[in-house]
Amino acid sequence: MISGRCAACKSQRRKCPSDCIFSPYFPPNDPQRFACVHRIYGCSNVGKMLQQMPVQMRAQAVDTLYMEARWRIEDPVYGCVKLISQLHQNLNDTESELAKVKALIAFHKLQISQVNELHQPDLDASQSNVEQFQFNYSTQNHYPWFIN
Amino acid sequence: MGGNSPCASCKLLRRRCARDCIFAPYFPSDDPQKFAIVHKVFGSSNVSKMLQELPVQQRADAVSSLVYEANARVTDPVYGCVGAISYLQSQVSELQMQLAVAQAEILCIQMQNVPVVLPANSEMHDLPNYLNFTSSGNVIHRDHSQKRENIFGHDLVS
Repeated sequence: MISGRCAACKSQRRKCPSDCIFSPYFPPNDPQRFACVHRIYGCSNVGKMLQQMPVQMRAQAVDTLYMEARWRIEDPVYGCVKLISQLHQNLNDTESELAKVKALIAFHKLQISQVNELHQPDLDASQSNVEQFQFNYSTQNHYPWFIN
Repeated sequence: MGGNSPCASCKLLRRRCARDCIFAPYFPSDDPQKFAIVHKVFGSSNVSKMLQELPVQQRADAVSSLVYEANARVTDPVYGCVGAISYLQSQVSELQMQLAVAQAEILCIQMQNVPVVLPANSEMHDLPNYLNFTSSGNVIHRDHSQKRENIFGHDLVS
């Protein structure tokens, strides 16, 4: 049936058999999808890949092949690898930031426990000592050297 | 380079390696696996077309990224690089969430440390002593808020 050809068979100008491996994933109303995949991977490579995997995984595989093909067409040098690189960088940056903030929390908690110890032994002592300590703490740069 | 020793691609494709072979600079004969994997996923003619469309100075990077993608696809035939991207995105989200929690915690700690300025008529008996400031606490409070801006050069709460 000529009118029922999938996008792959239309592109390859051949008959589309009833068991065409491409037809479930490359409908005729979306020729761009097959064109992208074919341009990057080639029709026979895609066919081989699909044959080597279970039927239930093929739809997902075609989706990811299409995504990667589009990335490669948009960026012929780096493709989707650029995004992976950026994500790795984001991950490193966020890890560093988290480590800094956690260190700051630990530092604050230490300061609080020291203040509490200072306050604890003598509840009747003039509170101006504690105030003065906190005043000094707040106005001077007592933060750890590694906090920028 | 061509000549005596064919490059990995010409060896695999069983053809003469020309002096101007487009693959030779990027697929040396001592690493046959590199071309084999790229050929398996993309096909040699597609790779050749891609390289021909690029300036020479960008071809090495292009080959590296193609090898990376091909490896990812062979390792995971269904998801390829998209699987790695998805995984990394979830890792970044998770860490960002942890960072937000940590930043909120530090804000809480700082707020607990800030002296509370209370009106003169309020009941102060139940407050811990170090929060029981007199009106002179106003000065301290102002200094604390100024210092917060100086210590953290950037906005912690994003």
